[in-house]
Amino acid sequence: MQRVPQPPVNPALRDLERHDFWPGFIAALIGIILTFCGVRHLTAVDTVDGGNAWETQLIKAFTFDGMQYASKVTSPPPPRGDNPEALERWARQNREAEAPNWKVRVDTAAKTPCPT
Amino acid sequence: MECPVPDCKQRQPNELGRKLKRARPWVQTGFLGVWLAPVGQWLHGFPSCVFHCYSCPLSSFACPIGIAANYAALIPVTLEIPYLLLGVLLLVGAASGSLACGWACPFGFVQDLLGKIPIRKVALPAWVGYTRYAVLLGLVILLPLILGFKGIPYGDQVISICRLCPAGALEAGLPASAQSVMAGHGWPMSWLKTLILVAFVGSALFIHRPWCRIFCPLGGLLALFNRISLFHLRFNPKECVECNLCRSRCPMGVNVDQKVNVSGCIRCLECSTCGALEPCFAVPKESSKPALPK
Repeated sequence: MQRVPQPPVNPALRDLERHDFWPGFIAALIGIILTFCGVRHLTAVDTVDGGNAWETQLIKAFTFDGMQYASKVTSPPPPRGDNPEALERWARQNREAEAPNWKVRVDTAAKTPCPT
Repeated sequence: MECPVPDCKQRQPNELGRKLKRARPWVQTGFLGVWLAPVGQWLHGFPSCVFHCYSCPLSSFACPIGIAANYAALIPVTLEIPYLLLGVLLLVGAASGSLACGWACPFGFVQDLLGKIPIRKVALPAWVGYTRYAVLLGLVILLPLILGFKGIPYGDQVISICRLCPAGALEAGLPASAQSVMAGHGWPMSWLKTLILVAFVGSALFIHRPWCRIFCPLGGLLALFNRISLFHLRFNPKECVECNLCRSRCPMGVNVDQKVNVSGCIRCLECSTCGALEPCFAVPKESSKPALPK
């Protein structure tokens, strides 16, 4: 057994660190209540399919890159080539495209294995 | 420094301490079966209580730190209270403090294994433990809160702590990169994350549990409960023969001869080998009840 020489100790001066039962018990009880609340918690975040996301769905979306932010939604790229009609159609579609009426939503079907 | 106890070298660990020391690697291995479920990812909607990347192909639960950072990034858009995350951490912390760090955390287990390589370890001052709270406040809460989902503008990364996390590099980046190299597609992990991984492995050879001691925001959070948790360590002055075995056995450099239920402790219970420190449960009466038979 590896031993490292240590300075002398004085057990008489040592802090006994009395542990009370109730703070830990109450904190654990609050933890249990919060966990149950979380499992049944319907968040204010919408899902892609409509309706609100459960908290478990929200957490799952974090882990599978399923969060969609409205400010992150980009317009489609312009058409390739020198076709002026296609270019004009793309510009018109972009003008007519309405801003999404949501700020953030959850794609419950997202399955990106590594969001980071 | 000479040890002041004359028969210091002859003193042997007590039976309970020996048993705990033998059992710990097996318990840690057993918990790998929980965190690395063979079916993988089936409980990703639920936070775990240990530091384990949810991008790992076999992770069964979600990383609590990744969840916290994502919730913080959500605040500029909509305020959501993470009931599940708070509940799990409060429950685990209040019940056992940082016991999960010492006995269940897969990333801690990796560091324990790396630490077994016989290289002289560097001692760290106790104050380095406070940087864990700076990481928690700065990288996990404030940075995503300020930058939102955009995160630090670096490649496709969105959450700052995940980008810098060595657990992500080891458990998710390394398998994916190895797979990519074997398929002939090159090394996809960013140079920054690769560098972090190399630095982490290197430091784990010279410092016992460097991530846990210096950076781990989850360990820092759970350790805050050490003072009130139901499971705790109790000092029995009648058993103390001033051999200081408890302190010399502590791999985390905690001055357990002065105070043991502190934030630097990971509850590995190595200090209980001396017999004067015993793992206990708090009971409604005045004294605690020993958690394990001697």
